[in-house]
Amino acid sequence: MISDSIPNASIPMASSNPKEFVKKKRANRVAKLKQYKLDARREQWLSQVKNKGCCKEEFVVSEATHGPPSVHLENESGRPTEKLEIKPGGKEDNFEDGLLIHHYSDSESSPLNSPTSRISSILGSNDSVTNFTGSSSSSRSSSSGSMSEEDDGGCLDDWEAMADALSATDHKQHEHNLKSGSNSPPPGQHVNGAQSESQSEITNRTVSRTASSKPKPGSGVRVVQKAPVNSWAWRPDDACRPQSLPNLSKQYSFPLNPERHVGSRGSVCGCKNVVPVPTSCPICYEDLDVTDSSFLPCLCGFRLCLFCHKRILEENGRCPGCRKQYENVPVEGEATSDGGSLTFRVARSCSMITRS
Amino acid sequence: MQASRARLFKEYKEVQREKVADPDIQLVCDDSNIFKWTALIKGPSETPYDGGVFQLAFSVPEQYPLQPPQVRFLTKIFHPNVHFKTGEICLDILKNAWSPAWTLQSVCRAIIALMAHPEPDSPLNCDSGNLLRSGDIRGYQSMARMYTRLAAMPKKG
Repeated sequence: MISDSIPNASIPMASSNPKEFVKKKRANRVAKLKQYKLDARREQWLSQVKNKGCCKEEFVVSEATHGPPSVHLENESGRPTEKLEIKPGGKEDNFEDGLLIHHYSDSESSPLNSPTSRISSILGSNDSVTNFTGSSSSSRSSSSGSMSEEDDGGCLDDWEAMADALSATDHKQHEHNLKSGSNSPPPGQHVNGAQSESQSEITNRTVSRTASSKPKPGSGVRVVQKAPVNSWAWRPDDACRPQSLPNLSKQYSFPLNPERHVGSRGSVCGCKNVVPVPTSCPICYEDLDVTDSSFLPCLCGFRLCLFCHKRILEENGRCPGCRKQYENVPVEGEATSDGGSLTFRVARSCSMITRS
Repeated sequence: MQASRARLFKEYKEVQREKVADPDIQLVCDDSNIFKWTALIKGPSETPYDGGVFQLAFSVPEQYPLQPPQVRFLTKIFHPNVHFKTGEICLDILKNAWSPAWTLQSVCRAIIALMAHPEPDSPLNCDSGNLLRSGDIRGYQSMARMYTRLAAMPKKG
């Protein structure tokens, strides 16, 4: 599984970890058998690619020349991998599903994709994993390292678990699609963007990679194929759309909510737009809660927490911002009016979002 | 009061965080008492106090920040608004114009500003105030520079 896709990067350091290699050899006879089959299949595919046309060959070469640095690059700009991904997308018609899946996983996992690399990859998948991760960031090495452990254990016959992991991955990806969809990125780029988001995304990527390298085209693979076209994993009315996926409206409420909040707030009290709301009380330095941050005792816009305001009223009763005497009826009376209650509610919902 | 302690602790953390931000002010809290602070401020350039380092002593009341801290110069300074013997400072923000929004750091900044812009009409040091009020800028500057050299600069050799 994982040894199908990841080992392709293994050539330079295949013998760098002999101890683990021996261990692996004993533990993974079944895995190797499977791998032989897959590798034979890939060989077949590669020859097919070479026969099909020179442009395909070019693609493979470009992959090889990119080398390990492209793994870094894709996180920064997403350009190199965008290129890699778009190409297979364009050639989609030439290949049957399984082959396309292989193709995709290759372009994704290992730039060093060449026929010879596979021979060494058969020898030990763990070496190749460490090698692959060694060429990338340390954070990824931890995540994909743990993944390889799992795969060694017994993921070969555990298709259901893999499918579950897949659906989880798709879930994540779908979420990201929704987010990035509002920003309308170029269609081919979104898979990359989703994966370079965070470490958890990277872990998902490992899962998806291992999954997509299987000969059996799962639902996740379909997503990967479809995604570059319309950047949506599932349409809302799609029959095969998992019920666990979040609703679109829920997703869209995230970017929309703050604007709505600002709008209603600005209409309720105009002067709040001038002075940005501080996060902590300038007097006691404690964090302003929702009530405090919607409390505006002075026209100068100086905000403070209710507690400090009370203490100041007991003392000289002058605003710390402008040194003017606080009026007898402070502006906080506004909060009890009909517009004020709305402000409170919206403010609370907004603050919860910013916290999360 | 617990509030003043909490506020001073937050200010302490702020000072630790922004130590590099204002190289003219070095604000240190007493090891055992958070209500006692000392500050080292550099004399502003293009004033007779340029090149000197002046020590301030802060005594923070329990009602802080509703009440202003009491600040005085520990270093001798010839300035119309600083008492020559006690080091007491005549500065409105330390008296009636105090605002709880001020911090110890901002008080230091205000004192530096006062050094650059003396107010001879409400003098604590009458000699200095009289020099300025009579227009003897040169006399005031040479006196102030002399005391800066004597008291606020490291002794040579």
